[in-house]
Amino acid sequence: METRDLALHGLAIKRHAGPAAVAELTGLDAEQAAGELARAVATGRAVEARGAFTLTPLARVALQASYERLCAALRADAGFAAAYHGFERINPELKQVITDWQTIDLHGERRANDHTDQAWDDKVIDRLSALHERAEAVLAGLARALPRMAIYGRKLEAALDRAEGGAIEWVSDIHRDSYHTVWFELHEDLLRLMGRERVE
Amino acid sequence: MAGLPIDEMRAAPPPASPIVEATLALLHQAVRRKLAAHVAQGGAGFDDFVFAAPGSAEDCAISHADVAAVEAALLASGHRFDWSAAISLAERPEAYKGGTGGADAVVFEHPGAITGAPDAQGRTPCGQGDNVVRHEADITGTARYIRSNERVLAWLAEGVPPGTIAIIDDSGGTLTAPILEQFAGVLCAGGTVRSHLGILSREYGIPCFMNSKLSGIADGDTVCMEASAPPRTTEDYQSGMERTGRVWKLAGEA
Repeated sequence: METRDLALHGLAIKRHAGPAAVAELTGLDAEQAAGELARAVATGRAVEARGAFTLTPLARVALQASYERLCAALRADAGFAAAYHGFERINPELKQVITDWQTIDLHGERRANDHTDQAWDDKVIDRLSALHERAEAVLAGLARALPRMAIYGRKLEAALDRAEGGAIEWVSDIHRDSYHTVWFELHEDLLRLMGRERVE
Repeated sequence: MAGLPIDEMRAAPPPASPIVEATLALLHQAVRRKLAAHVAQGGAGFDDFVFAAPGSAEDCAISHADVAAVEAALLASGHRFDWSAAISLAERPEAYKGGTGGADAVVFEHPGAITGAPDAQGRTPCGQGDNVVRHEADITGTARYIRSNERVLAWLAEGVPPGTIAIIDDSGGTLTAPILEQFAGVLCAGGTVRSHLGILSREYGIPCFMNSKLSGIADGDTVCMEASAPPRTTEDYQSGMERTGRVWKLAGEA
């Protein structure tokens, strides 16, 4: 993708973000990303609120309708498609693991997990580690076809390392690049590239 | 996917106007798909695609329906057209700026919603949904349909009014993502408790019902969510067991 398309694509994935986050996700340099976002605001493609940017509705429509052209080669790449399908196979499990992280069986009832039951938490993080091991081949396959995808593997691994080391907010906290945050962004990226819709 | 000659002509900057860029992107997408279908049926390429006799089997010209689909996609994004003659607004208020019947005024009427007469406390049952996690108490707030971009962009800039219970269509939550954490509660018509939106609202500690079936809640109504109801579990989904939190409309406060 060209710089403008890539910057708008990155902003669509981040949804409401500044140039640094868009640059990191897309591999653009920070100045390029800042320039593209400023241009997007000046031309009605984005609005800025509270120091962060979001795409306007028409810009979202234009981008969505452009993916067939922008991603024609990628969609024809059998290796990338296989890795994408591998991701979709693991995705429901990831959502179940995160749900089990956020909730806990207490007196026969599902309650919000207050993370006082170490054994429960350890078991869920073990499942997350096992899932990540299987995801590694998928992540490598994605990055082989599209090098910028490597950022997701690095961020997922960093989040998992921290969670395994006891910093449990790296599992699903929304205000950081937790495992779930990065996984969700990767999914959003892939759905757009492949022209798919989120199932649930 | 078949390419169009114009795909290789990218030296020009993008159209100045967002509406032109969106319209052209949608039209090109439609032409590209027709060209791909033409080639898949044995067509040679762009030239015989373009010059096929009108009405012939090879004719893949853009039709009235294609253009209608482009307009529908623009309107679905929340865009409303500017009008130059008031007759436009009078004839199609749903398509123009300032028209009535904006997206936020369309009320959910799900056949599966459990409704009934007001109870002793004056609460009228108006539906139910799958609770993503149990909260200590039920919550009451002002129901707001979140469908228009104007509303989301305004709240993004000014903040969401306190006590807003957001009623939303899709579990991907594309529109609401940046303001989600400011809602007092969420009623989502799609998804399951494992959906991304379910995961996010648990993380934020916001009461949220997925797979909601609602009836008779107008924008601005005061509603109560039974956030203290037990959540629907994975096993419930597998066995088809219904386990829902209820939604009421409160009397006298519309």
